[in-house]
Amino acid sequence: MEYNTTLHQQLICSILEKIINKALALSLNGTQSLNPLEQKILVVNLAEIGFPLSFMVNNGLIMVTSLSDISDCTIHTSIKTLVALKKQQQLTELIKQNKLDIVGDIKIAQQFAQIAETLNIDWQSELAKYIGDIPTYKFGHLGKKLAQKLNFAFTQIQADSTEWLVHEKRLVVTKSQVAAFNLQVSELEVLTETLSERIHALKSTISNRLK
Amino acid sequence: MSLQDQDRKDSINNTTNNNADNNTHFGYQTVDKSEKESKVAGVFHSVAAQYDVMNDLMSFGIHRLWKRFTIDASGVRPGNKVLDLAGGTGDLTAKFSQLVGKNGQVILADINSSMLNVGRDKLRDRGLVQNIEYVQANAQHLPFEDNTFDVITIAFGLRNVTDKDEALRSMYRVLKPGGRLLVLEFSKPEQELISKAYDFYSFNILPKMGELVAKDGDSYQYLAESIRMHPDQETLKEMMEAAGFEQTTYKNLTGGVVALHKGYKF
Repeated sequence: MEYNTTLHQQLICSILEKIINKALALSLNGTQSLNPLEQKILVVNLAEIGFPLSFMVNNGLIMVTSLSDISDCTIHTSIKTLVALKKQQQLTELIKQNKLDIVGDIKIAQQFAQIAETLNIDWQSELAKYIGDIPTYKFGHLGKKLAQKLNFAFTQIQADSTEWLVHEKRLVVTKSQVAAFNLQVSELEVLTETLSERIHALKSTISNRLK
Repeated sequence: MSLQDQDRKDSINNTTNNNADNNTHFGYQTVDKSEKESKVAGVFHSVAAQYDVMNDLMSFGIHRLWKRFTIDASGVRPGNKVLDLAGGTGDLTAKFSQLVGKNGQVILADINSSMLNVGRDKLRDRGLVQNIEYVQANAQHLPFEDNTFDVITIAFGLRNVTDKDEALRSMYRVLKPGGRLLVLEFSKPEQELISKAYDFYSFNILPKMGELVAKDGDSYQYLAESIRMHPDQETLKEMMEAAGFEQTTYKNLTGGVVALHKGYKF
């Protein structure tokens, strides 16, 4: 094995490892969910980052490295596809479209995904340790209000867009109508110019006769 | 050539000429071989308690990335037997312990009992006990049978060894065929500008930092001097090859401030 790693990769792995283990430590579900995955290795090759990320479970911790020599399950995909997969549960379709390639035991990947989905962190309790109960309550209250307003705004925008698509779009001028209108304007322009020339000629005739 | 480079060259020449007299260098000083071990031991007994804090301060935390790089380059696998030589406070051992798993084994070896004690306490506090053993050992005379380890690492330790060639031969002996040695060590910066900035930092700031935090400026003066006295990238590669290692390569990290050498035993 050669030096197919860089310090930047190590920095990314190190940060990821810290965030994941901190999140697991804070989760109300604890780290018991990791037990079935003890010593299992999931390797994820994301097109966007260009190097493998290896997740290995050991003693209730997840180690992140860029080693890809051995794995129980290897996934080749992109961040975009992972987002689509989470939203629409279209595993088979994405595999058919060559956007997702899974080698090895798919259950390992599913178990890792389940752990990520079931993370349950009581952010308010954690925040209260640093800033106290009352400011945390106020922050929480403010956060909830903000979330409600954003949610309302989002729903409203969605409803308006739907309405526009269903009703308003029918009233919008089509391309052919615009083209026909442009043609009419051009014809009118020609007629106006002809009339203008005739008026000019008549004016000249009248002024010559008056002389 | 800078004055420090000239000093270094003179000192290496002196050491080479005096090899018959059993002399070696301790920083920029030329000392008797039998003295170096106790002098180095004195340095590490003194800094052991503050070693991790000082490493973070001195390298701005980058030593963690250098060590992670070493681990990834080792290609270690579950079930492997690893020797973390001059392992000190156990940074590499901690990661190796997790990667080799229950069926593997990691031996943290250091010649210095104070460093070994700090390492043992730190790893036990982190709950890492199942597959780690601690051995006080001299790298020149490793107390292990031939062909024992899949991976041997020595991070920031080789420059403190009295007879580096003998140590490399000893490591070769205990490595299994197919096994690899990884030497992570300070080296010679690739660019003149980095070299000058690094010299200024090492000789002006580092000892003061040591004085302030570890209350021991002299030990950090020795650190700076010992780095300058350590063989450069190509020389160390040749030394590894002379000890028997094959497919020996090195990779400069952070502009050559540190280099990772890797060699195989076949």
